[in-house]
Amino acid sequence: MGASARAGAMPAIARRASALLVLAAVLLAAFPADAAEEAAAPPAPAGKVKRSEGSVSVDHAGQTQPLPVGSPVFVGDRIRTGSDAAVGVTLSDDTLLTAGPNSTLLINEFEFNSTTEEGSLLATLVKGTLSVVTGLIAKQAPEKVQFKTPNVVLGVRGTEFIIETRGEGQ
Amino acid sequence: MRSAGCLCGLLLSLTLAACAPFSDRVVLLPGPDGRTGAVLVSADGEEKVLSEPYADAQVADGKVHLLKTSPGMVADDYGALLAMQPARPRLFVVHFDPGTSVLTPASQTLLASIRAQLATLPAGEAVVVGHTDRVGALEANDRLSLQRAALVRDMLVGAGIAPEAIAVVGRGERAPAFMTADEVAEARNRRVEIKLR
Repeated sequence: MGASARAGAMPAIARRASALLVLAAVLLAAFPADAAEEAAAPPAPAGKVKRSEGSVSVDHAGQTQPLPVGSPVFVGDRIRTGSDAAVGVTLSDDTLLTAGPNSTLLINEFEFNSTTEEGSLLATLVKGTLSVVTGLIAKQAPEKVQFKTPNVVLGVRGTEFIIETRGEGQ
Repeated sequence: MRSAGCLCGLLLSLTLAACAPFSDRVVLLPGPDGRTGAVLVSADGEEKVLSEPYADAQVADGKVHLLKTSPGMVADDYGALLAMQPARPRLFVVHFDPGTSVLTPASQTLLASIRAQLATLPAGEAVVVGHTDRVGALEANDRLSLQRAALVRDMLVGAGIAPEAIAVVGRGERAPAFMTADEVAEARNRRVEIKLR
């Protein structure tokens, strides 16, 4: 709807610059959602925290904040657990990720189309322990799901497993 | 005596292998239905496949060693971790009275139970997934399945579930419960699934 309105307005823009300003103001007022989407659509969360025990935090957009139950998890987030802590996250394709104490988990990539159930997942266990139950993406295209540690790459064929790593160069 | 000595030696070497310092470890578990998937583990260009339940890959000195662990040892090493897993998604299916947008009586009863079960889940979500049969075009069925899901979402809200806890999805004709040829009317495929997680 917004696109066709703007296309129809093009001759007016060519005629007069002041008309353009008025038109732009009208369009912004009439289609605020369209304008916001074009500026920067807020990214959809990759998942949600379902369990959290002890000190659990996330590095998100350059800030470290606590990660209680109910928090959204986004691509690029680095989840950290303390020595007494654990966290369980359900991604939107039903993948279950559970990190144990002294763990750092980075969500490198996550995309999921709920209509087609296509997508991709890449996560890195920088250190610690991680239990994985794969979800709908792995059911449809297991080669699109990958986990890494600093030393190891895991290819998944639809499954449940545990990863433990002592970190880089160990 | 001699065979006992050999056995001890064997046990010792097995223990040493299992206790050798590893940088990374991957343990494959069976699913709740007893089926086990597979994982490919690559380190330093070496690739090993884990496909048996309780297969245990330990990486030491850049080499992947394939071992086998047991339910008891997994419980010892990772019991606390597994106890923190989020709930597995639970799936419910509701059906409509033929040719109407009214749920069958059995499905209406189900809605109350779904509300109670959702309340027990921490940060619980209901994902309402609509499906169609294969009559009509793919895009039209995408829209129709989304409309059906939205209808059930409204019913769940009516049953007292917070709207922000509900997501709607339309899968169109992509996931028939009963496979048919294209353009075949099949009531069992005109359904809505409610997934709680």
